[in-house]
Amino acid sequence: MRHAARSPRTSRLDGLSQNLVILTWGTLASSHRVSAEMSNAKERKHAKKMRNQPTNVTLSSGFVADRGVKHRNGGGKPFQAQKEPHSGTSRQRQTRTAHHALAESDANEQSSSRVTFKKKGGWKAGPEGTSQEIPKYITASTFAQARAAEISAMLKAVTQKSSNSLVFQTLPRHMRRRAMSHNVKRLPRRLREIAQKEAEKAVHQKKEHSKNKCHKARRCHINRMLEFNRRQRKNIWLETHIWHAKRFHMVKMWGYCLGERPTVKSHRACYRAMTSRCLLQDLSYYCCLELKGKEEEILRALSPMCSGDTGLTFAAVHYLSGKCQGSLLLYRANKYPRETLGPVTFIWKSERTPGDTSESRQLWIWLHPTLKQDILEEIKAVCQCVEPTGSAVCIPDPLLTPSQEKSQTELPEEKIGRKRKRKDDRENAKPVKKIVGDGTRDPLQPYSWISPATGIIISDLTMEMNRFRLIGPLSHSILTEALKAASVHTEGEDAEKTPHRWWAEACKNPDSVSLHHRQEAVFELLGGVTSPAEVAAGTVLGLTVGDPRINLPQKRSKTLPNPEKCQDNEKVTQLLLEGVPVECSHSFLWNQDICKSVTENKISDQIYRGARVGGLKEAVMHSQYKRSPNVPGDFPDCPAGILFAEEQAKNLLEKYKRRPPAKRPNYVKLGTLAPFCCPWEQLTRDWESRVQAREESSAASSPGGGEMGPTGDVVPGALMPGRTRQLSGEAGTSLNDAEVMDTDCPARAGPEWATSRGATSSLFCVLRSRKLLRQLSAWCGDRRVARLGPGRGQQELSREVCLSVLDCFPRALVWVRLSLLRKGSPEPHTMICIPAKEDLLQLSCDRLYRGPQESKHCDPFKSKIRKQKEKEKTEKRQNRGSATSESLADGDPAAGPHALTLGLWSGPLPAVTSHCSRVLLGFVTRGDFSMAVGCGEALGFVSLTGLLDMLSSQPGGQRGLVLLRPPASLQYRFARVTVEV
Amino acid sequence: MAENREPRGAVETELDPVEYTLRKRLPHRLPRRPNDIYVNMKTDFKAQLTRCQKLLDGGARGQNACTEIYIHGLGLAINRAINIALQLQAGSFGSLQVAANTSTVELVDELEPETDTREPLTRIRNNSAIHIRVFRVTPK
Repeated sequence: MRHAARSPRTSRLDGLSQNLVILTWGTLASSHRVSAEMSNAKERKHAKKMRNQPTNVTLSSGFVADRGVKHRNGGGKPFQAQKEPHSGTSRQRQTRTAHHALAESDANEQSSSRVTFKKKGGWKAGPEGTSQEIPKYITASTFAQARAAEISAMLKAVTQKSSNSLVFQTLPRHMRRRAMSHNVKRLPRRLREIAQKEAEKAVHQKKEHSKNKCHKARRCHINRMLEFNRRQRKNIWLETHIWHAKRFHMVKMWGYCLGERPTVKSHRACYRAMTSRCLLQDLSYYCCLELKGKEEEILRALSPMCSGDTGLTFAAVHYLSGKCQGSLLLYRANKYPRETLGPVTFIWKSERTPGDTSESRQLWIWLHPTLKQDILEEIKAVCQCVEPTGSAVCIPDPLLTPSQEKSQTELPEEKIGRKRKRKDDRENAKPVKKIVGDGTRDPLQPYSWISPATGIIISDLTMEMNRFRLIGPLSHSILTEALKAASVHTEGEDAEKTPHRWWAEACKNPDSVSLHHRQEAVFELLGGVTSPAEVAAGTVLGLTVGDPRINLPQKRSKTLPNPEKCQDNEKVTQLLLEGVPVECSHSFLWNQDICKSVTENKISDQIYRGARVGGLKEAVMHSQYKRSPNVPGDFPDCPAGILFAEEQAKNLLEKYKRRPPAKRPNYVKLGTLAPFCCPWEQLTRDWESRVQAREESSAASSPGGGEMGPTGDVVPGALMPGRTRQLSGEAGTSLNDAEVMDTDCPARAGPEWATSRGATSSLFCVLRSRKLLRQLSAWCGDRRVARLGPGRGQQELSREVCLSVLDCFPRALVWVRLSLLRKGSPEPHTMICIPAKEDLLQLSCDRLYRGPQESKHCDPFKSKIRKQKEKEKTEKRQNRGSATSESLADGDPAAGPHALTLGLWSGPLPAVTSHCSRVLLGFVTRGDFSMAVGCGEALGFVSLTGLLDMLSSQPGGQRGLVLLRPPASLQYRFARVTVEV
Repeated sequence: MAENREPRGAVETELDPVEYTLRKRLPHRLPRRPNDIYVNMKTDFKAQLTRCQKLLDGGARGQNACTEIYIHGLGLAINRAINIALQLQAGSFGSLQVAANTSTVELVDELEPETDTREPLTRIRNNSAIHIRVFRVTPK
């Protein structure tokens, strides 16, 4: 029984009996009553409430000690019945124990007390509570003693305030006075003493730094710098951080503090700036890697990392000359098309630099910080760069020729000097803002590596250069307004000390002066080009500019293109035709207009000229309108993308769990298997097994497929029976694509296929071969490409072509754009499905047809969850018994390891493609209402196998139509697929 | 320009669609005044028409009304530009007049190489354009 179970605790109780708690009857009784049906949360709340109850009422020792053990209470049972469900905090249990003891002591002594006790507290004595024995006698002295103790406790409780509010806050409203918290004398006299104590306490709790440094000292530049350095120890600030922090919601991402979006409501304003004016973004968090060495060596080292299939590589002629910025996708060496590392942009330093004849070239690779670790490792591996070179840049490398060396050693120094020019001037470079390394690497790690075999030097120039992006038609005119080419230094100025020394030196060389003038001329011409789209994409122009702070306008104004500038047409046309001359892309500092170093003032300078600044969100929006994949979210096959997806899924799940179950969508019922992540792996695997299963089943149905198949049955795509016959064995199995697809039966037979294949075959990849993408895009019914199609060697969509494609890419995803035909704005993780035949039929009948609806699924987990909950409850009940017997229970044991969440699919996902009524094709990664198009638009990936399957089964006019269904909706909506090349 | 175009024509003959992709750049455009309207084929015809009408009518009480607007159309959009201008005139009960100018616009086509060994090329192509001035006349 209960008391037997408690007996080990009695010795402890004896010890405690000195300061046991006694509560007033009312409170105690009510506490019992309440706790009888209290849930966990309520208990906690209650414990909090009881915290401030007086605890130090002393009973005479021995008063409880012997009685606590003995079970004198004749009924006994009622107590037990009540106490079973309790599991309070230790304090509460103590009080109960005390009461119990007390009650017992009373119980046999005075019946009247028992009676009153019952009345007041409403003590439910249980079913047989009425059969309690009434004590026959009481001892007056002990009874009085007990009551006296209670009364004193009560008095104490009254004098002590129990809430944690301050004294003046407890005053009634009409007695409050202004500044009461500061001035004690404003309080009524009886409360002053307490208030005094409180005020003293508050003073002690205040933060340290405010005491030892006055405001002025804190604002002092040196101290501020120290403070800033301390605050950016973990997440590095960009140079424009303070400017951004005042205006943006900052997020800590990728080791940086970045502005996510402006605090002002500006989604549409940013869009307008993008399309008709200018949007500025600080991309300084992008990492820059520098490769130095012989051109052939670098090219040879890097060639296995990229493929000509996906576009131009490092070796393209116009990139090599340094005229243009290139962009490409990097893969692990010789692993194309698998194991993507991520997209990069790169610039070669231009070939011909004045007075430089060495063969050494420089290549700058710009990449996103999340991709950096992988790519850097891989580049180091392919270049065989293993030895870190001491403190990197400062040590002149022996491999360089003297002239090169000079320019090299000069380069980073000057940049830093330029950046922090003003600060250095002011405070003699004492605690300079020091950023060694960046958020993506340890400051102590080496950031330069050399390869003994090839002589390539890799150095990490992250945070050395700044990078801004200006989007929009007015960006040229804003640039030309804001930046003025530096004036040429004349002889005689002592520029030795200033950071401008390099410029003065450059000005001594007549060649470089003339070059500077040419660059200036080109730059001036740019002001006359009203839209950046008129100049060749990726053009590089080097320019040395004067400090833009000098000609900062007094008032914020809007830059408008100057019509006069647009007049000298011939020069402009030449510029447009030929691009910027090669030599102009050289810069004295390598401080190009796209990666110039800029202080906060420069950004405000451009603001003054009417640019708007965007954050990360705007960058995402921009890439969506560009229809280009965004880093790292839209690269599901590169490690950074996978990581990003995992994190996103975790965040979304947390957010989902925060809502009460009734207020959140039940994704199981909605038939959404994976609302927070896209199971690409499973999707591609399912499609593969699906197609294979179908082929097998059809092969089984027509064993002599070779002679009967090809010409007779109509395969929608196969228009060339002659060729089909050649592939008889294979093609014969390909009958009735469409029918098989609709009936879905082979997919049901598929799972064992999937599992068996899953173990053996490799990972999925994203199709990035330009040739194939172009072909797909033609098949998808992009009329523009289709018209060009026949002339450009495009093939018809046919069975064998599909098969040959699928052989190369058995598990590939394709990046597609989806534009909705009518209503609806898609969101991330929207499902892309294949429309059934009747859907298309209905659409052709009724142009306003919205799309089919998914029928509600049943939730097999709901009952499980309920069962689990009940089980937990009973367990808890049992646990309580044991927990109370142990001295202090450390909380209930957590729910089972496989905690089910209501509304989410748990356990391994079933076949994802055939889970709903329409066959799943892929997922949307980014979708929104597009202000550029005026309807919903989405970007996402579909399975290549599925896409080909769908296209070959759809009739010409309706080819490329798919259905979209957001995770939290049952409504499908029509959209058209376009493959982006 | 003529001598400029000659060598480029020669290039065209050796052009291989596999090695180059054509990318058309935006037409060179002068800075826009508020009363310039560039007609395109993407926007709905009616929307463009009402836009012109609004410019001519001005605000609620006729403030900020333009006395003349310029409608520019290039290539395929010439037809539409003419259509808009005539619609405006027809709906104005004789208070609007039109005056048309035609011109030739040089457009730049960019040929992006598909292989590493090729240089990017640019070609100049001519296209016809129309600039219609729609202006208010005081009815006599």
